[in-house]
Amino acid sequence: MRIILCIKGVPKPETVKVDPETHTLKRESAELILNPFDRSAIEMAARLKERYGAEVIVISMGPPNVVPLLKEAYGVCADRMILLSDRVFAGSDTLATSRVLAKAIKKLSPFELILMGLKSADGETAQVPPETAALLGIPSLINVKDIFFEKGKIVAVRETEYTLEEIEVSPPLIASIYPKLDYLRPPSFKRLLEVRNKEPEILTSKDLGLKEEELGLSGSPTRVSGVFEKKFVERGEIWEGDPEELAKRLIILLKEKGFLKA
Amino acid sequence: MGNFILAYGEYHNGKLHPASLEILTPLREIADKLKKKLVLFLLIEDAERLKEVKALERTLCDEIWYLESQEFKDFKDDLFGKVIAELVKETNPYGVFFPATPQGMALAPRVAGELGVGLCAHVNAFEVEGETLYMLRPSYGENIIAKLYSTTLPVMATVSLHAFPIREGNKRPEIKEITLKESVKFESKLKIRKVKPIKREPSRLTVAKVVLAGGLGLKRRENFEKLKILAEILEAEVGVTRPLYYAGWAEEDRMIGVSGVTVRPKLYIGFGISGAIQHTIGMENSEFIIAINTDKEAPLVKMAHLSLIVDAEKFLDALLRQLKEGGN
Ligand SMILES: Cc1cc2nc3c(=O)[nH]c(=O)nc-3n(C[C@H](O)[C@H](O)[C@H](O)COP(=O)(O)OP(=O)(O)OC[C@H]3O[C@@H](n4cnc5c(N)ncnc54)[C@H](O)[C@@H]3O)c2cc1C
Ligand SMILES: Nc1ncnc2c1ncn2[C@@H]1O[C@H](COP(=O)(O)O)[C@@H](O)[C@H]1O
Repeated sequence: MRIILCIKGVPKPETVKVDPETHTLKRESAELILNPFDRSAIEMAARLKERYGAEVIVISMGPPNVVPLLKEAYGVCADRMILLSDRVFAGSDTLATSRVLAKAIKKLSPFELILMGLKSADGETAQVPPETAALLGIPSLINVKDIFFEKGKIVAVRETEYTLEEIEVSPPLIASIYPKLDYLRPPSFKRLLEVRNKEPEILTSKDLGLKEEELGLSGSPTRVSGVFEKKFVERGEIWEGDPEELAKRLIILLKEKGFLKA
Repeated sequence: MGNFILAYGEYHNGKLHPASLEILTPLREIADKLKKKLVLFLLIEDAERLKEVKALERTLCDEIWYLESQEFKDFKDDLFGKVIAELVKETNPYGVFFPATPQGMALAPRVAGELGVGLCAHVNAFEVEGETLYMLRPSYGENIIAKLYSTTLPVMATVSLHAFPIREGNKRPEIKEITLKESVKFESKLKIRKVKPIKREPSRLTVAKVVLAGGLGLKRRENFEKLKILAEILEAEVGVTRPLYYAGWAEEDRMIGVSGVTVRPKLYIGFGISGAIQHTIGMENSEFIIAINTDKEAPLVKMAHLSLIVDAEKFLDALLRQLKEGGN
């Protein structure tokens, strides 16, 4: 049984730089951390590996500074690491990203399950999992809380706004994982030592058979035409002073305005 | 070709999701400016039940389209995506828009993927210039708004929750059944075996008259608990910034901003909130804004009607004590 785990490096908030021309994030210069939502996907992979002896392949599209994050996932449960890296990938929107992931995933056939995070902290779009699935022509479920296998079928538990559902599906499936699993295991020390002298396999656009016009900025149909700052007139009143005094004044104001019974 | 706009009507068990009515408000304006028809469409298992949906009688759209099949009883991501993609291919709308509900966010990217077109997430405002539709949302990592457009048709986006008020139309839209020309098999690979309804009280945050919002400047969870006590006294609802949701202090539906909800209360008080644009876009239309912050230069302090330059913890303590003493 093969599970493909997709993780993403997101810029550490204080280190974010934005390209002044394209207004996309400059990932190469930012310090990357693991997308916090992907921890749940890694944990789900670890549970399935434990239960079914699945092989876990972790993949990420990004600049070379995501390698430590791939190793982090190896430390928890991954058996193989693959970095999808190419200059022409830079500036990809969710469609262009999904094209790269879909090609890479296909190259790793046969597989039963693809696990992703619910969303990424830098984009917060949550679009990549269903979009990748649509490109691959396979089903997808978002916000999945549990997964098990039954007679060759995948059974997934997902939460919607209205219901908790148990869904049966023949593999393969892309599932984005509910971000608040009860437990997230840390990487094992032994595996972290082991991965120190391992390097991920690297796949470029050529290896994936993708054309430049499908990738990066030119392959992204959503474009930024311009930006503007929101200007606020400095209209406010400022109160300074001792907390007790300010509290007293605010209570008076709230009463005057009818937010507090006089 | 391209002379109408589609809006997704999220239907569940006799009800239309209110967020589907919200998105009609900006789309009505866009449709008028671009001289296009506005169509609300839904996938339903039994068209008889449409009569139950009173909200449909006075919507802003020109027409309501529905596709009917037993298979639409439960939401099946792959099937719904395929059917909508086929509907788009056969009818060529100018745009297809979804509310940023959990279902909309599962479905819109499937449709965009099937069609190979662009999709903007969490759009908060629209602008029409000439023939081009621009979609606005905060730019990542900067305190600026980005204006996006799509190089592909149909234009697609998910629209932020509560970003627009629901308005009623003055005529009854025509209701039409749509059948697909192409024989798409209404079959899903997903077999829903068990369904358990969940009873979650929807948060009253978006309709509250008074909102007390907490940010990282509250420093400790204890202080966030104090904010909740103050909220009870003021009959207010509590909202948070993203870091507090990430830290698990509050549920996602309490997060105010581009990735959360939009609020428009009569009074908003922000405790220890810097006022990043991703947050302020969700509260800037509050009638009266008060900022509690130690930093005079914080953006929220600049946009507020009144700012108290004070430590949030000490201020909360003082306020709660005085309110208690005052018998309120
Ligand atoms: C794609 C994306 C989507 C996002 N979506 C959202 C969203 O929907 N909602 C959202 O809120 N954020 C969102 N964010 C995050 C947003 O950019 C900000 O990081 C966040 O709003 C900041 O939260 P904060 O004001 O609590 O923290 P900070 O920015 O750290 O501000 C803390 C404030 O507290 C003040 N302070 C410090 N000590 C005290 C004290 N003792 N007493 C009083 N004040 C004090 C400081 O001066 C500062 O102004 C998003 C970011 C991205 C990249
Ligand atoms: N560049 C990427 N490489 C690998 N996985 C990704 C990438 N971008 C997004 N994903 C996956 O898609 C999920 C949702 O991201 P997003 O749609 O960007 O909010 C993430 O949690 C990842 O699992």
